[in-house]
Amino acid sequence: MTSAFSWIAADETAEQALVRIYKKRPFLIFPPPFHRLPLRAGNVVEIVGPSPSAKTLILIQAAINCILPKEWKGVSYGGLERAVLFIDLDCRFDVSSISRALQRRIIDANGLRRSSLKGNGNEYDKELFVSSMRRFLYTRCYNSFEFLATLKTLHHRIQQEKGGSAVYMLLIDSIGAFYWMDRALPTSSTGNNNNRKSLSLQTVVETVVQEIQRLLVAHPMLVLATKSAAFGDKQSITEVIRKRPDEKMPDPRDAQNKPHRCFMPSVWQSFVSHRMLLRALDGESKHQNRPTFSTEWLLPPLNCSDHFTVNDGCLLIPK
Amino acid sequence: MAPLEDLERDYPIIDSNFRMFCASHGIFTDTDFLLHDLSALEAFARQDYAPDKLEQGIKQMISIIESGQRPWLNGVELLEDSQLNKCTLSTGCEGIDILLQGGLREGHVTELVGPSCSARNSLGKVVYFDTGNSFSPKRVAQFLSLLSDPSATQTNKAVERDMSSIVCHSVFDIFTLLDMLRQLMNNLRSQISFQVRMLIIDSLSSLIAPVLGGGGAHGHALMATAGFLLKEIAHESNLCVVVTNHMVAGEAGMLKPALGESWKSIPHVRLLLSGKYSATGTRITILKHPYLASGKSADFVVL
Repeated sequence: MTSAFSWIAADETAEQALVRIYKKRPFLIFPPPFHRLPLRAGNVVEIVGPSPSAKTLILIQAAINCILPKEWKGVSYGGLERAVLFIDLDCRFDVSSISRALQRRIIDANGLRRSSLKGNGNEYDKELFVSSMRRFLYTRCYNSFEFLATLKTLHHRIQQEKGGSAVYMLLIDSIGAFYWMDRALPTSSTGNNNNRKSLSLQTVVETVVQEIQRLLVAHPMLVLATKSAAFGDKQSITEVIRKRPDEKMPDPRDAQNKPHRCFMPSVWQSFVSHRMLLRALDGESKHQNRPTFSTEWLLPPLNCSDHFTVNDGCLLIPK
Repeated sequence: MAPLEDLERDYPIIDSNFRMFCASHGIFTDTDFLLHDLSALEAFARQDYAPDKLEQGIKQMISIIESGQRPWLNGVELLEDSQLNKCTLSTGCEGIDILLQGGLREGHVTELVGPSCSARNSLGKVVYFDTGNSFSPKRVAQFLSLLSDPSATQTNKAVERDMSSIVCHSVFDIFTLLDMLRQLMNNLRSQISFQVRMLIIDSLSSLIAPVLGGGGAHGHALMATAGFLLKEIAHESNLCVVVTNHMVAGEAGMLKPALGESWKSIPHVRLLLSGKYSATGTRITILKHPYLASGKSADFVVL
């Protein structure tokens, strides 16, 4: 009798549950451009933007914030001192971008003036640099099956990394990288015999989502994924719009007019918990020769957008 | 996509019993195995009449997948690989080298975009895939003789040696290109052929543009496959890959690079050549680069 009652007895009160959850998975405010919303482990954030926008740069900045320690030799860096996993599906990542950005961040935090990156700007703490870079784990996949294989064996790999509690972020560069190749996968011509799963974009993405969900249960992580987007309607190649010189040409990248089309299957779209949109802005910053971008949260929808510029691999928030 | 029977030779645990169990769940090849839910499979295996052997078989499959993977590298190892293996190749033109901080980088796929008659064909050496019969040995010899020391008496021999280090192939459609790229990758992996430093595909766009368009996904899939093959060759074999692209009319009569939006995310570096092929100089602008700011430009003159 006692065993039956123990089955319906309460484990903990709601207050205890909330306290436990907030302690285990605290909400964190990340530096810009994520500063408007608190994020925590278990969230899946999708960063959407056309190419080229600074999507990979945002991932690198988030990675740097994670791998730096909170404090080192008296200087505060405000990092999390946790490892990040970077899965490069675009296969375009260059390690120089993260090493330069990390050096710049360490030098800036130390308040040293740097005249140039080479030469006398090199006095930064190499030990800190090496220990931070060791927390950055990288692999690349050239097709969907390598990606699936990586995801299936990731649990084992994370266990190897200091007992599995050290990894905090999973960064996926360009989740839509294999979209076209998967759409053209050969489907089996013999029909649906023996309940065999047909190879298609749908099954591949479903398996990817399933594996990431399983991974998040075992190792709660923050997932940041970039995706390149196409804006507006497809323009026919033969159609060239001729405008009279005095007529004002509507800006084809006008933010309010054209919504972005999401091309990933709905199983991925419903898996994403937050979505941020990046757009390139033309115009006022042209004379400075620095590209400006605007960010806007689509999910949950906030009605404000921030701007930032890119200066030699570094994000600046002027406005 | 290997069927499971092929694995039995090397791994006897994948016997016919295991294969029948897998077939009952619709798994016939190793890719099917990747698409399946492994923990559900293990749960089914436990309920079977011979659970131990089946579980061992599943573990063996997982370890086969693991062993075929690339290892995870940390930041320090990446930096070491980059410094050891991926050096920069000079383009032979000082202005461009300064702009690109050293030149063309090994491991990168660099795209040169420009209207025809700009200086696209004047940069580069070594393995050359020519799609438009525009490769001219005389022009290359002329270029080489200008680069080398004019006072040397051995000029002819040096030019000959340099010319023999350039291998030119004619390619006229995308399938031949994919075939040759795979062959090149195999050769480089087993190190049969000579040490290749650079691969040039003159006018990749003329191979891809005919298959793009239309409603099917096959054109884009071929483009993506070619792009990923090039990136794999560049990274694994430490080559510098240079492809060229042409311009098409865009909105409001302005020119834009061909091959569309999906191509934009494939090359590492995109350089735009503009200006007439004249003595006053051609301008090269960075459209996209991993760590240099886009928009920077330099002028150079083609002799």
